[in-house]
Amino acid sequence: MAKQGFLKSALAGVGLWRKAIAADFPGIDDPDPERQGQALFRRGRFRMRAGDLEAAVADFDRAIELLPDFADAVSSRAECLDMQGKSDAARPDYEHARRLWAAHRTGAPDRSYLWRQQGRLSFEVESYELALERIKTGALPHAAVGNALLALGRPAEALRAYERALKIKEKDSALLAMRGEALSLLGRYRQAVASFTVSLRHNHKAPETLSGRAVAHAAMGNIGKANADWRRQLALLPERQAAARACVLLRLADWAAALPELERAIEAHPDDPYWRLYRLTALRRLGRLGDAAAAAADGPWPAPLFALLAGKTNAEMVLAAATTEGRRIEALFQLERYKDVVETAPPALIEYAAARNELSRR
Amino acid sequence: MFSVIIYGRNDQHGYNLHKRAAISFNALAEVMSDPDDEILFVDYNTPDDHPTFPEAIHDTLTDKAKRHMRILRVRPEQHAHLKSKTHLVALESQSRNVALRRSNPKNRWILYTNTDMLLVPRNEGESLSDILGALPDGFYQIPRFEIPEMLWEAAFDRKDAAGNLTKLRDWSVRFHLNQVVHNFMPMKYDALGDFQAVLREDMFAIHGFDESMILGWHCDSNLAARLALYRGRVDTLMDKAFGYHCDHTRVAAANNKGRKTTMNSHDKYIWNVSSPYIPEQADDWGWPEAKVEEVRLDRDTSYERFTAGLGKAMEPASVPFTSTSVEWHLFDDLTYDLLHTLPFVCDQVLTYPKETAILVAGCRADFVQRFAVAWRGMGFTGPVLVPQELGLAVSNAAIESGRFADQLKRAELFLFEFGLATQQIDDPVRVGREEAPADRRQLAIVERLFRRAASTEVDTRPKGRQTPRRCIGVNVIYNKYWPIFTDYVGANINPFCSQVLAGLPLAEPPATMREKVLLKFRKKAG
Repeated sequence: MAKQGFLKSALAGVGLWRKAIAADFPGIDDPDPERQGQALFRRGRFRMRAGDLEAAVADFDRAIELLPDFADAVSSRAECLDMQGKSDAARPDYEHARRLWAAHRTGAPDRSYLWRQQGRLSFEVESYELALERIKTGALPHAAVGNALLALGRPAEALRAYERALKIKEKDSALLAMRGEALSLLGRYRQAVASFTVSLRHNHKAPETLSGRAVAHAAMGNIGKANADWRRQLALLPERQAAARACVLLRLADWAAALPELERAIEAHPDDPYWRLYRLTALRRLGRLGDAAAAAADGPWPAPLFALLAGKTNAEMVLAAATTEGRRIEALFQLERYKDVVETAPPALIEYAAARNELSRR
Repeated sequence: MFSVIIYGRNDQHGYNLHKRAAISFNALAEVMSDPDDEILFVDYNTPDDHPTFPEAIHDTLTDKAKRHMRILRVRPEQHAHLKSKTHLVALESQSRNVALRRSNPKNRWILYTNTDMLLVPRNEGESLSDILGALPDGFYQIPRFEIPEMLWEAAFDRKDAAGNLTKLRDWSVRFHLNQVVHNFMPMKYDALGDFQAVLREDMFAIHGFDESMILGWHCDSNLAARLALYRGRVDTLMDKAFGYHCDHTRVAAANNKGRKTTMNSHDKYIWNVSSPYIPEQADDWGWPEAKVEEVRLDRDTSYERFTAGLGKAMEPASVPFTSTSVEWHLFDDLTYDLLHTLPFVCDQVLTYPKETAILVAGCRADFVQRFAVAWRGMGFTGPVLVPQELGLAVSNAAIESGRFADQLKRAELFLFEFGLATQQIDDPVRVGREEAPADRRQLAIVERLFRRAASTEVDTRPKGRQTPRRCIGVNVIYNKYWPIFTDYVGANINPFCSQVLAGLPLAEPPATMREKVLLKFRKKAG
């Protein structure tokens, strides 16, 4: 339905436009490709709004050169080309942008939704910031910007955005939970637990908030309290959310209970190799044989882990294949080096909680 | 692949609704290519005695639209608990959630749009099912383009969906129709509610539309805000399809009062949204426990049910025509042609739920008997409640005999028939016949039961029922039962030929002369 109520906002655009004429774009000459690419994107969007499509395309071209996986720039370039009547040239860009976004691996399904956001979210941050020029009493733009920053691993800035949102919408349980996530990522676990706890006081049926508090508890070594929260979370998760339920049970290292949930997760997401990997892990922890050999052992990650479980490779080779910190943690976990996992992994990882629980049983 | 969710009711929402909707239904079906695709139309709060909106315009729909369409009928009784809280007669969030709950679980996508939209794939060879099937997970919107009212009204052929899409491709260029109206995040575009493609799984995760939004407007923006939080982004599908809206502002719709339009709060439901979830409705959004009737246009149609019922209850006529008369001297003759009247009686009940319990109090046993046969034949599963006080010799599996006082509390619909108990099926009609003593006795019983049912309707409703029950009167036109029936029931003026009046019991039935005298006497007595 048409938005009659947007008259005010539409008029505000005139003000924004005037302000933007004088805008500069910090970082436009920065040697850091990320900063320069982002600045070029912003200038490209500005030029696009001003109707200078040729110049906008040039900015997006340069941004994509610097950051080839910059989906926001690819998508904006597509729109410019489309508006210029070059739809055939635009089409591959639209598709490419979607593929780039989809290629980002998302966070675990039992964690807060904000960890499942994909991409740089540059367009969104810019758009919300524009909205904030006009919308002075709305918490949404602050929260959305905070979420984007947090997903990009910038918790200090995210925290500031949440604090601004909380000034508008005091004691809001959702914002308090987001604030807890930011504090947790900053390593301020005690404050994070406090924020989650207040949030849960307002809304005790919030599975993702319980998950956030459990992670913070676990990070402080309170695995008992963490497990209690995960069990509460599990009780709130409906049957149809098998993947999320499986993750919680993996964190609890409850291998037997995790198995049927993992099987349902495989059914729902047959292309995601991690559910099959975790299923084999559960089987192995239960002393049962899995069919690891059936999984491709020579493809990209996590294939080396399947090879390890099938006995086709050794610890050194797997660790050598683990080229990122996250992969190294996954490898250490499969090698049952739980102490190393606990000492080096980020507390939000499934492997961290599972390792803590395994160690607590020894 | 996808379930389209739209809603409405059998009324006049804006200019030339019937044409707009037919164009839109047919165009939506035209871009479907997966057998699992469906158009879920929630028919919200159409009066019980009306057919659903798509049934009312079914002849203007293509076979493909009929095949893909599932109509979910939300009855006035199901809306009654919300009636006092809103000025609207059709609620968007509730409608869309009822459909979402009941959507085909095989479909990955839900597409929210409205009954005046045409979606045109930019690549002519591609269907919307193809497009959505190839998309990565996400939340997608497209900008809405307007079609001037003259164009769609004058040039579109309702049933030529493919031709209409071709015309649009041409007009969009010739008349510069394609103008993207951008908007702030999270809306992204103006009029965003006309194309919001969401994963079914995501809609369940965020608990559907916000059902506290009952004042109209901004439901789409609220959904965008919550999905923008949930997914982080709002993606465009502008490269794949354009969406065209049949502009209809010549006449303002019920929810459009210009600057005086009542709306859901902009601030609360858009700018102060802080979570994708709505914990308050996590368990009951979309009314999971409610029994929502499903109506099809490609099978078990009202017409099929009507003919099946009457086919069981009566033989075709053996003469070219029969006759009756409204001449004044025949006012007291209560004979009528049962076989001519029965179709008009069945017409009054067909749109009610199949499990309806109907109380039938009649003078003529053959009327009650034939009606019961037709009732079952039309697919009704509820009982025909016949008060034992009538002493009728009738027998049918549908008929339950019992005390009137008990049946009054079970009945959901009333049918009173005022004929002559002594009339046989082949007797002549309206020839000046007088009532026999047996007729008078039976008429007195039916009249007493009718007066009691109508005057105590509010107090005798089945437990939990909030809406009034409809009364149907047979042989109540242009005879002495006309004023009696309409003293108690707010019925329209109907043609004599139908023999039938119907309406809801009046809130305060006028007192009879006897009651007026008694009341005056009591007042005088102090």
